[in-house]
Amino acid sequence: MRTFVSGLRPALIVFAIVLYLNLIGFPLKFGSVAIWVFAAVLFLFSFVVSRRAKGSSPILAITRSLIIGLLPSLGLALLTYVFALMQASQVTVQAVFAQILPPHTAALTGLTGEQVIAGESVLPGLASLVLILTSASVLGGVVSLLPYEKLKTIHSEKTQSLLSTLPLLVPMALFTAYLSLKLPSVQLFGSQENIFGLLLLYIFFGASLFALRAIPQGNAKTSFMIVAMLATLSVPLLNDQFQNSVLGFVVIFIIMGIGLNIVVGFAGLLDLGYVAFFAVGAYSYALLSSPDSWILQNVPGFEGVTFWAGLPIAIVLGLIAGILLGIPVLRLRGDYLAIVTLGFGEIIRLILLNLREYTGGPGGVIGVPPPFIFDVSLGKPRDILFLSLALSAIVTFIAVRLRDSRIGRSWVAMREDEHVAQAMGINLVSTKLLAFAFGAVFASLSGTLYAVRQVNIFPDNFALDVSINVLALIIIGGIGSIEGVVIGAIALIGLPEVLRSVNEYRIVTFAALLVAMMAIRPEGLLPSLRRKRELHAGEQENIPRRKKIAR
Amino acid sequence: MPTLLSIRNMTKRFGGLVAVNNLSLDVEELSIVSLIGPNGAGKTTVFNCITGFYSPEEGSILFQGHPIQGRSPDRVTAQGIARTYQNIRLFANMTAIENILVGQHPLLKTGWLEAILHPPRYHSEEKQALEEALRLLDFVELSKQGDNLASSLAYAAQRKLEIARALASKPKIILLDEPTAGMSPKETADATRFIKRLRDELGITVLLIEHDMHVVMGISENITVLDYGSKIAEGQAKQIQTNPLVIEAYLGRGAASGQDQVKTTRAATSRTKAKPKG
Repeated sequence: MRTFVSGLRPALIVFAIVLYLNLIGFPLKFGSVAIWVFAAVLFLFSFVVSRRAKGSSPILAITRSLIIGLLPSLGLALLTYVFALMQASQVTVQAVFAQILPPHTAALTGLTGEQVIAGESVLPGLASLVLILTSASVLGGVVSLLPYEKLKTIHSEKTQSLLSTLPLLVPMALFTAYLSLKLPSVQLFGSQENIFGLLLLYIFFGASLFALRAIPQGNAKTSFMIVAMLATLSVPLLNDQFQNSVLGFVVIFIIMGIGLNIVVGFAGLLDLGYVAFFAVGAYSYALLSSPDSWILQNVPGFEGVTFWAGLPIAIVLGLIAGILLGIPVLRLRGDYLAIVTLGFGEIIRLILLNLREYTGGPGGVIGVPPPFIFDVSLGKPRDILFLSLALSAIVTFIAVRLRDSRIGRSWVAMREDEHVAQAMGINLVSTKLLAFAFGAVFASLSGTLYAVRQVNIFPDNFALDVSINVLALIIIGGIGSIEGVVIGAIALIGLPEVLRSVNEYRIVTFAALLVAMMAIRPEGLLPSLRRKRELHAGEQENIPRRKKIAR
Repeated sequence: MPTLLSIRNMTKRFGGLVAVNNLSLDVEELSIVSLIGPNGAGKTTVFNCITGFYSPEEGSILFQGHPIQGRSPDRVTAQGIARTYQNIRLFANMTAIENILVGQHPLLKTGWLEAILHPPRYHSEEKQALEEALRLLDFVELSKQGDNLASSLAYAAQRKLEIARALASKPKIILLDEPTAGMSPKETADATRFIKRLRDELGITVLLIEHDMHVVMGISENITVLDYGSKIAEGQAKQIQTNPLVIEAYLGRGAASGQDQVKTTRAATSRTKAKPKG
């Protein structure tokens, strides 16, 4: 009985996940591949559940994984059966579930759409569906019983060093899989090829960052870093235009995320109007370079600046905007700061919207020119991705160096306790302004790239949701963590682009993911080491500690 | 010995409340001076005025002969005045070493450009700073705890780390706000010895707020007693112990007549709190 109950809860959860994936039309989009996706979900789920409940007997574990497999697959089969019957009798449920069409049912049962409409029996197909899903789950349960603990007790140095390279092999394998998709003869996913390629790349980037953190300093790490970097640099050349365009967008947000991470993550200044600096960067370059802009049309003889001149100008203007915002909010903290910055973000957008004569108003600025190197235009998504990668490398380098220096320490001290930080000799004014300035400069930089990528920019591109997105991505990644920004940008900017094929539900998916994330892993996916310690300190060690006595 | 810190006729008001009233106090170089008084007497306010968190309405504070009242806390610290807090205020989520490195802030010169470009000077400065931090950690007997989070240290260790952090700015005077609060008798004895070492080994002048009279009477050369913001007595341990005004402040009116010596403990302090004077 207890086995049954302990299996029931995870079974219901995984059923909800499978049901959800089913209803948003996974089978419709991906055909019978969807069955294997469901099988993988069940396998992983039953594996994780089984590993978490350590110390249970093998029979108990397998029974549990059987329940985890059986309940969702039977539920799914029943639902599909009902849909099949309805479709055979020409009853449509599309008003409620837009994705439930005959091909959807067919994909799950191994038939064709016509056969479903003709009323051919779906039962054999459903039986094999149940069989596949249940065995995947049981397999997960069985695999979880393998003696992993014994691996840790192996002390032979050779095995140890072999094991330590394991985290490195995973990203390599992923990248190989990505490469193999590029072979002309491989046609695994039909028209969805590039989407799967992107997904593999995302996981490759994520796995590489995890691997870099997991393995200790040494030759293996250095060589892995070099290989991963080369792989990353080859990506723009291998990708198609769509993939490069999506990745370019992700990298632009990485640059912005690293900037906001300095302001919020390091210095602890909650800035909700961060998009303002992004807008300043984009509009500075656009207004100085687009033939459509007021400046070019009304200043005689001015032909517009090149990207290479526009970038520093945009950065300087961003810096000025950062300091202009910084000065009035120096005395504010927490909620008050958030409100003021929120207002600042909106003010910039409204200015852009209402200074019609100069900024083009809601019509925006059209035709922002790309950068040129000796008359060679760098306007293709591939070139923009390369450019963004180069700039993001510089930005990351600066952020890491600042974090590890006296400046970074004073930011963190200020975040921890502003009063005491001041008593330690830290000048709050200059320290805060420095954080705002770096944040603004990085956002302005990414804004310039954004203008180049979009070609036409409008005030609506710079609404509040950009600020929220950037803030969310650094929280998802792990606030204060630079690697976290990369993962967060992939998860929050990259994934939705890929999921456009299941467009109707992507926002719901994200809401669910965010809530689940914050509940399960509040410190973020790749937290800064410091923040991780802070949130899990009580779990690892139980140091007896007296309550501070306040008198 | 010349006077290091000198408070002259200082008054600090909060609205209608006079927290510190016309206080004058001299701290000689290389001395250990205690500031005592019942709860709410204004002792911590005096500290906050010295370190620049409050600006006194009247009077002046001279440090090495120069007025420092009204300066911002970071500038006061840079002059050579460090402090600790009554309720420990470490940077809880930084390691012990990082806490001390932050304490060295005013001594280090690295600006943002140097932090990014790493000129040779950067490396030598960081190396020196780390060595200094380890030395201080060793001085407060926490050398094994350097990489632990400040919040994970034991209570007495946190007190010591807070002192080490204050020492990191190489102060000429350190203001300790109840350094033995909440400690066991053994820990208190340790702390008392430790405070003496600050002066004897490092040559730092100590200004102390303390409730534990064993500590106060044991180590201070000079004691100032505050009550309701005003100085009611000043002198050496012996004189203070027999001063009727002091006994009255601690135990209430009438107590002085029956007693020739004050055995002021924490219990006595809390009694005054429960039963106000008069």
